[in-house]
Amino acid sequence: MALRINPKLIDELEVYGAEDVSKCYHCGNCSAVCVHSSDPYVFPRRSMRNLQMGLEDKLKGGLEPWLCYYCGECSEQCPREAEPGETMMSLRRWLTSRYDWTGISRLFYRSWRWEVGAILLVGFLTALGFLLFGFSQGSITHYNGSNAFLPSSKIHVFDWTLAMLLLAVLLSNAARMWWYTVGRDRSVKVPMKSYITKAYLLPAHFITQMRYAKCARKTPWLTHLVLMLSYLTMLVLIMFFLSKMASGPKIDWYVHIFGYLATVGLVVGSVLFLRNRLRKSSAQYTHSHESDWLFLVLLLVVTLTGISQSILHHSGVDVAANIMYVVHLSVVVPMLALEVPFGKWSHLAYRPLAMYFADVRAEGLTRREPASVPSEGLRAA
Amino acid sequence: MRIGVYICQVGSALADEAALEAVAHYAANLPQVESVRPLGSLPTIDPDALAEEIAAARLDAIVIAGDSPGFFKPAFTRAMALADADPEQVRLASFREHGGVTQDSSERAKSILACAVYGVPFPLAAVPKETRTNAATLVIGAGISGIQTALEIADAGKRVYLVERTGTIGGHMAMFDKTFPTLDCAACILTPKMVSVGQHEMIDLLTYSEVEAITGSPGAYKATVLRNARRVDEESCVACGICSDVCPVSVPSEFDAGIATRKAIYIPFPQAVPAAYLVDESACTYVQSNGKKCGACAKKCPKDCIDLDAHGDVLQIEIGNVVVATGYDVLDAHRIEQYGYGTHPNVLTALEFERLTNASGPTGGRIVLKTKRLNKRKKAEEWVFDPEGPSPRSVAIIHCVGSRDANFNAYCSRVCCMYSLKFAHLVKEKLPDATCYEFYIDMRAFGKGYDEFFQRIKAEGTFVMRGRSGTITEHDGQMIVRGEDIISDKMMEFPVDMVLLAVGLVPAARSDQLAWMLGIPRDEAGWFAEADYNADPTGTERGGVYVAGMCQAPKDIPDTVAQASAVAARVLKTIVTGKGVDSLESLSLEDIETRAKSLATV
Repeated sequence: MALRINPKLIDELEVYGAEDVSKCYHCGNCSAVCVHSSDPYVFPRRSMRNLQMGLEDKLKGGLEPWLCYYCGECSEQCPREAEPGETMMSLRRWLTSRYDWTGISRLFYRSWRWEVGAILLVGFLTALGFLLFGFSQGSITHYNGSNAFLPSSKIHVFDWTLAMLLLAVLLSNAARMWWYTVGRDRSVKVPMKSYITKAYLLPAHFITQMRYAKCARKTPWLTHLVLMLSYLTMLVLIMFFLSKMASGPKIDWYVHIFGYLATVGLVVGSVLFLRNRLRKSSAQYTHSHESDWLFLVLLLVVTLTGISQSILHHSGVDVAANIMYVVHLSVVVPMLALEVPFGKWSHLAYRPLAMYFADVRAEGLTRREPASVPSEGLRAA
Repeated sequence: MRIGVYICQVGSALADEAALEAVAHYAANLPQVESVRPLGSLPTIDPDALAEEIAAARLDAIVIAGDSPGFFKPAFTRAMALADADPEQVRLASFREHGGVTQDSSERAKSILACAVYGVPFPLAAVPKETRTNAATLVIGAGISGIQTALEIADAGKRVYLVERTGTIGGHMAMFDKTFPTLDCAACILTPKMVSVGQHEMIDLLTYSEVEAITGSPGAYKATVLRNARRVDEESCVACGICSDVCPVSVPSEFDAGIATRKAIYIPFPQAVPAAYLVDESACTYVQSNGKKCGACAKKCPKDCIDLDAHGDVLQIEIGNVVVATGYDVLDAHRIEQYGYGTHPNVLTALEFERLTNASGPTGGRIVLKTKRLNKRKKAEEWVFDPEGPSPRSVAIIHCVGSRDANFNAYCSRVCCMYSLKFAHLVKEKLPDATCYEFYIDMRAFGKGYDEFFQRIKAEGTFVMRGRSGTITEHDGQMIVRGEDIISDKMMEFPVDMVLLAVGLVPAARSDQLAWMLGIPRDEAGWFAEADYNADPTGTERGGVYVAGMCQAPKDIPDTVAQASAVAARVLKTIVTGKGVDSLESLSLEDIETRAKSLATV
């Protein structure tokens, strides 16, 4: 197959954050220090090479960026200050925009003004919608009961509709991802059996992030895991126990204890990551793209408005609680509707998928290759 | 002719706005200069826009000034062609090349720029006045380059003072086992030269001495040499070694790169010149206790030549020329944590391996692994080389350790590729069954016969892998080297018993003091700066001060010897004619400008 070269690719990636790729002189130090780099997925150097050469299709079909958790060791040791870690991060942003067929992701990653504008617009519309809805069927002085301003049963329906919509977008993008990385490559025949026997990897990677735990530094993994699990807990609570969450002002410990734990996790996690990025405490936090800031700030604002809403509700100030509820929703909805399918949040789907695809694809590869080919240099010896 | 001057503001000479403005103002007042435009730092140049500018100003010639103006030349040449002007008329005013490198060198920058505007090469215009020259020469540093320069000058019958900081001449080359690519024995080349130096009538050998001060002017320098107390009489010592046998103090041997010990009274190595013992006062019990303890060596000496209470001496010498040949140091491998030097006992630096594989080394040239042994005095276990120890089954050699690395030395140390290949050969020669891996980034086999040597090493069965190893880990006492084989895009892991680090080179300690004393600049890495990168790689800014060997920049032995001989020729020229040249500093901006103007009109 002829390779198509896009000489502008390296410039294009600059917008996504990869600024120093051309400095790389291919010593291979980064691949050697990375615990995740192993055959057949050798990175980051190979990705740097593909970028320098403008091999867009190869990069689009690569799973390597998702296998990197950005511990930052490669960037710290890089003799050329070519920032291989940040390049992998930028490639993840770029890939997200490639998988997304709507083009919204590309727009957001390339211009934070568009992204912020869209979030503000959706937030405003959400607030307006919920206010109209609230006043049309309930009273602002009631948080619960038959006359509630925003009854949990109705919100529940809204939540599920939104969730289904998001899932549909994410799944269609995930299908594109599969096509680019596994399906399109005719040289690799992945047996159906592999897809089934390896399916357990999806939830396993999603929940434990066991690959992240392999990185030499454990703190980022732990912080990330706590943040992710808190987020997941909150999601489960909202999707399945919303009425119990909204009950009160009495505290229902069976449900609320999880809510409190998740809240603590979310606050601690997002504050820690924000602090690291502000302080640029180590290599992986020194370069922050606008999308990274937006991700953390939105998460923190959602959590803080949620906490305020809960406090107001449990102290019986229903009017204020209802207003805070609308504020909370007008942050949550744009965050979910825009950031999950099109922004940094989408990595919650792409990362576990990539690891799953990587494993099944590797199995397909072993079936193809009879034996590993010795290196050029080694053969010469 | 209408000339446009473009100034690129990069680096140190024009670091601040005021200096840039002064230079720009000066350039604008030079004849024929139509426009002066600063390009800012790190500019990207669009030839099309530039062409319009050139056409609008009707420029016939361009002068690009800056640290590395050649970098922008292609864009300007293209712009000139696009503007229908003569593309040949793009001149460079390189501050870096002609010594306009420091913050205080804006005068120099002006003169470099003026020369470019007049179209006269800077070295042609900037010729300092002649001075009378004293026939004696001071050579600082007695490694291979100092020895070579001293012998060349002395063989011509001229007086040389050869000053060496350590107790013997020979420098790093004396430590080496073999030279690349010929695999000659280093000592066989060096020791006859050392003996010649020791016996030469025209060489005053001042070992264990340091140059403390240099005053005077080019051609008539006065040097103060501090002769440290050797505490052993050089003339009468017969190097019988009894003193060393009775000495109770053991310290790491510098000559053996720390892998073996020596006594406090010692001879660096048996072939040392002068062949006399000396006392390391920082280790000697007698000296440290102010004569209260020990003194065993002085009592036992059969020739009665040890005077432990001796004091240093100061010597004043008058010389015409000074040759700096102070060599280099090796980067401290502890700084590069990923390779575990100092943690894993069998991770060695290149110099350590040189001594290990050298027949005169502590193991008699046997390549062995370190073994654990109980040090009875310290009551602690330590790793030492035992000549009877086990041999490594596999050896990894890692190139570019601390070289070409933005975190350590940005420059290439130039000798590591070749000595690493030499190590592979020595391992294969002495341990034919051992596996040997080389991890390199780029193979810089640039010299005569070097690439052939590389091919030979590959043919000998060494695994040569493109890709620098990132880390060395240990599992159950087995070191594992991991690297990416870049040519086949595969990860490789090899269990190895010994790792050799091709550690980069750094300027010798206290080069800064010497540079200050002599009034010669150093480059950004700390090597002594030559007067002109292309036209005068042996001279310096200061008249009558020359650089030879590694102290100017990393180079291999053939290049070092060549440069040392070149310096000798230049020194001899000044002695034979009785006339040297003054420092570049002695020239004022007007001097250079006037001369450039006169040359331009011819």
